[in-house]
Amino acid sequence: MPPDPDAELFLAFKRGDASAFRRLYERHARAMIAFCHHFVRNAARAEELAQDVFVKVYRSADRYQPSARFKTFLYRIASNHCLNELRRGEYGARPSTGPEDEPTDPDSLAGTDAGPDKTVEARKLEAAVQVLLDRLPDNQRTAFVLARFEGLPYDDIALVLDTSVSAVKSLVHRATVTAAQALSPFTGDKSEEVLS
Amino acid sequence: MRHPIADLTALVDGALAPARAEEVEHHLASCETCRTEKERLLAALHVLARLPPSPEPSPFFLARLEARLRDEPLPEQGGILSRLAARWRIAVPVGALAAVAAAALLVVRVRAAHEQEFARNLPLFEDYEVVANLDTLNSPEDAVIAANLDAIEPAGVKR
Repeated sequence: MPPDPDAELFLAFKRGDASAFRRLYERHARAMIAFCHHFVRNAARAEELAQDVFVKVYRSADRYQPSARFKTFLYRIASNHCLNELRRGEYGARPSTGPEDEPTDPDSLAGTDAGPDKTVEARKLEAAVQVLLDRLPDNQRTAFVLARFEGLPYDDIALVLDTSVSAVKSLVHRATVTAAQALSPFTGDKSEEVLS
Repeated sequence: MRHPIADLTALVDGALAPARAEEVEHHLASCETCRTEKERLLAALHVLARLPPSPEPSPFFLARLEARLRDEPLPEQGGILSRLAARWRIAVPVGALAAVAAAALLVVRVRAAHEQEFARNLPLFEDYEVVANLDTLNSPEDAVIAANLDAIEPAGVKR
């Protein structure tokens, strides 16, 4: 395994160096807020969740094994926390996930957290992605977010989800097929999925 | 070769083993259906790349996080037991003192109860001691009588 500077920092923190943990969360804060935002689509709530994640990581230092990459350790805690948050049911009922679902009409979507500098097109795209993520089952959603937005390779996602690489391949593929269908209004693709 | 649809996403992600990637590419060269599906998946990924960036952290994010971490003990202070002990560092000595005091009180009360019982039955014990000192417990019957001295009523006493 290549050297992991984050793991070195976390080990230093385990030995009592509080500044090492500060460097870790300064390094990962933005990515962690973005990750949580993909689950709750609310900036303030995403920040709270990201803080929760760092507190959990802090408290979990005793459980950390240096053989694991820090990033997979961090995202495992974050994934579990975000999914638990979703299961609390404060973010609305999920739409049907059946293949009969029509691609989302972007004109019918209202954006959330839309800043004034975003274009109408960008807001529609954000809203469509939100609907897409909400319709995915938990494990597909997590794998998709980790692969598409966090850029994690399949083997790291497998470690985060505690599953096999082939299972991740299947999860990411199915989610991407659903994405292709849901985002077709933005791609100009009028064709239906031919094969499955 | 069957349509390798399930491998197309991994192919565009560069996550297929080289030998398998070569097989799939070979199939794509002759299969328009699979090429179309691959383009459809790629188009979706290009759309995702157009998403606006996630919101910036608020200026207070780090300050709030630091405030939450301020009360957390460092891992150097030990494992979970030590941390629990640290969290309950006031409650533990108080609890221990209370337990010691309760045990001492119990001992005193038990001892006092024994002494009161002894005092209440002092004549009986004296009688038993006299009998024992007379060296008269020679038979099982004598032992039974000695053991039941308290049940023996003085002569002439009627219930």
